[in-house]
Amino acid sequence: MQSFFQTLVSGLSFGAVYALVALGFSLVYRTMGLVNFAHGQVLTIGAYVASTFYLSARLPFAVAVPAAMVLTGAIGLVIERVLRPLENKDFDLMLIGTIGAGTVLEAAAILIWSSSGRGVSSPVRTAPLVIGGVRIPPYDLLVIAVTAVAMVALTLFLQRTKRGAAMQAVAMDHEAATAVGIHVGRSNAISFAIGAALAALAGALVGPMLYVSPTMGDSLGIDGFAAAILGGFGSIPGAIVGGLGIGVIGSFAAQWFQGYSDLVTFVVFTVLVMIRPTGIFGERTVNRA
Amino acid sequence: MSGKQRYSIASAIAVAAAALTAAACGAPGASSPSSGGSASSGAAAGPIKIAVVDAQSGSSSDLGQFEWRGVSLAVKQANAAGGVDGRQIHLTLYDDQGDPTVGTELARKIASAGDIAMFGTAESAVTVAMAPILKSEKIPNITSGQSTQLTDLKSPYLFLNGPTGVTYDSTLANYVVKTKGYKKIAMLTNNDSYGAGEDKAFTTALKGLGITPLASKVVPADQTNMTPALTAIRGTNPQVLFIGAEEAQSGLIVKQARALGMTAVIAEGAPAGTPLYLSTAGIANANGTIVSSPYLGNDASAAAQKFAAAYTGAYGSAPELHGAKAYDGAQIMISALKACNACTGLPLANAIRAVHYAGLLGNFAYNGSGVGIFATAIGIVTDGKIKPIG
Repeated sequence: MQSFFQTLVSGLSFGAVYALVALGFSLVYRTMGLVNFAHGQVLTIGAYVASTFYLSARLPFAVAVPAAMVLTGAIGLVIERVLRPLENKDFDLMLIGTIGAGTVLEAAAILIWSSSGRGVSSPVRTAPLVIGGVRIPPYDLLVIAVTAVAMVALTLFLQRTKRGAAMQAVAMDHEAATAVGIHVGRSNAISFAIGAALAALAGALVGPMLYVSPTMGDSLGIDGFAAAILGGFGSIPGAIVGGLGIGVIGSFAAQWFQGYSDLVTFVVFTVLVMIRPTGIFGERTVNRA
Repeated sequence: MSGKQRYSIASAIAVAAAALTAAACGAPGASSPSSGGSASSGAAAGPIKIAVVDAQSGSSSDLGQFEWRGVSLAVKQANAAGGVDGRQIHLTLYDDQGDPTVGTELARKIASAGDIAMFGTAESAVTVAMAPILKSEKIPNITSGQSTQLTDLKSPYLFLNGPTGVTYDSTLANYVVKTKGYKKIAMLTNNDSYGAGEDKAFTTALKGLGITPLASKVVPADQTNMTPALTAIRGTNPQVLFIGAEEAQSGLIVKQARALGMTAVIAEGAPAGTPLYLSTAGIANANGTIVSSPYLGNDASAAAQKFAAAYTGAYGSAPELHGAKAYDGAQIMISALKACNACTGLPLANAIRAVHYAGLLGNFAYNGSGVGIFATAIGIVTDGKIKPIG
């Protein structure tokens, strides 16, 4: 039983990171109808920027993370600006453009920080909580708490602010949104920036748990993407549930199937998606063709 | 379509086919690498072209960068001293992306590009894939891989710049069991070619000493959450945890093991002797690790200190095992080229085999399987540095 709960705890910790990644995917999809395939590489940049502020500039972790979010959000603005000529004209090319952007970002990470990765020390040095023999690192609890706050903040932004409502209106019908005076380009730029900031937050938080390297965003991006689909692409609460779900499934698959854990995780994911193709909280809020 | 149009199209296709055929026969002046090699290239002029094939992107790119730097430093020093027979060595770097398929494409590419030898790769799986092509093209290759799959090929053109995994792990097992007296040993390895090789080599070494592991778990090579596997291992209460994974994943394993409250001594081969392992694990967690490695740090000898100073001056960061291996491999190649007057093909391979070289990793003398060094040393990580035992 101790082993079961220990595995569950580690699954929830990593699941919180996947949930943050999935939030970014879902936000951009919900407001632009676009799957941003550069999201994993944006996470990598965010992780490197945060670790540079924390390790090299010696800023407190609580300052390094928001600073990285702001800087990486600016990168999101640049990506959107480059892709803007394709908006509402050629959606498939825009999608491919995000793949290209991801390749550029990974190459930039290697050029700036070299291909050698870096370890990041945990900012929380207190001893793990031990409950019934199950060890819970305090940093993991911090990651889960930050993820919950990010979800609430994003939900409030989309549902309670004019800007959030405008962003969703653009995804539903960009011509109608333009007709009522919503600037589509600006709306998409903000969407990309917030999505990038969320990716940076995920990257910054996962750095002390793992290892910052130019390819860290590849697997985290895939897991986050799967989490977004599992929860219902475009659904904010779905991103959280999907992320935690992928984390827990992966954790128990690792315990029972060892070297085949990735295979088993994605077989289970495939079966779940076949049963419910729109995801747990599946909704069609976007009418892009 | 009119008859005139059909004639035009057919003519264009015929011209294109003729052009392609002419190109396939080789560019003017390019030497054929399958001529059997040249015993003396005194008449040849221009630089000596050597390929460096390593991952410069993807998850193995850090190993690729270390190897590129080690080789580049040795070649730069040789060129500054006049090169080989007055000819400079020209290196060309190719990115294999850590992918065996890309590696095989590059093997064909370097053959047609006129490279007479190759350094790399740092991944045994990629080198194994390239080896048959390099053998048929008669291109000698010095690799950083350590898998016995490489030596099993018995290619006269393939040489290792370090010991095999069997050497690393038998030395480690002997120290852990016979010297330290540990009997309760658990294993955690990954499922790529390196981890699988480590699993096999260490298990065999333990069996030879009459020890059966308490637990032997395998994780995917890109797995980041090792807690489930470690939780199972923790239940067996081992004295020693043997790890068979690359640097970053090894560090993560140690970090997560300590977070779970495991106090087992960590034992590992080459990856545990690198700064990457120490920074990922955290120095406090890594202290006490038993390392089996032929290069126990940049202070291990006067030669290592000199190498480290040159490397740091050139690249701004201290070297580690992979850079040292690559440096030794390059020095061996340069020695062979000097001995045979910049020969190519089988004569160059034979010249490499004839080299006796006192390197950073030890004394090299190659056997028929391409292995030149047969010992490693044991060190213990102490305060973030590796201290040789005794």
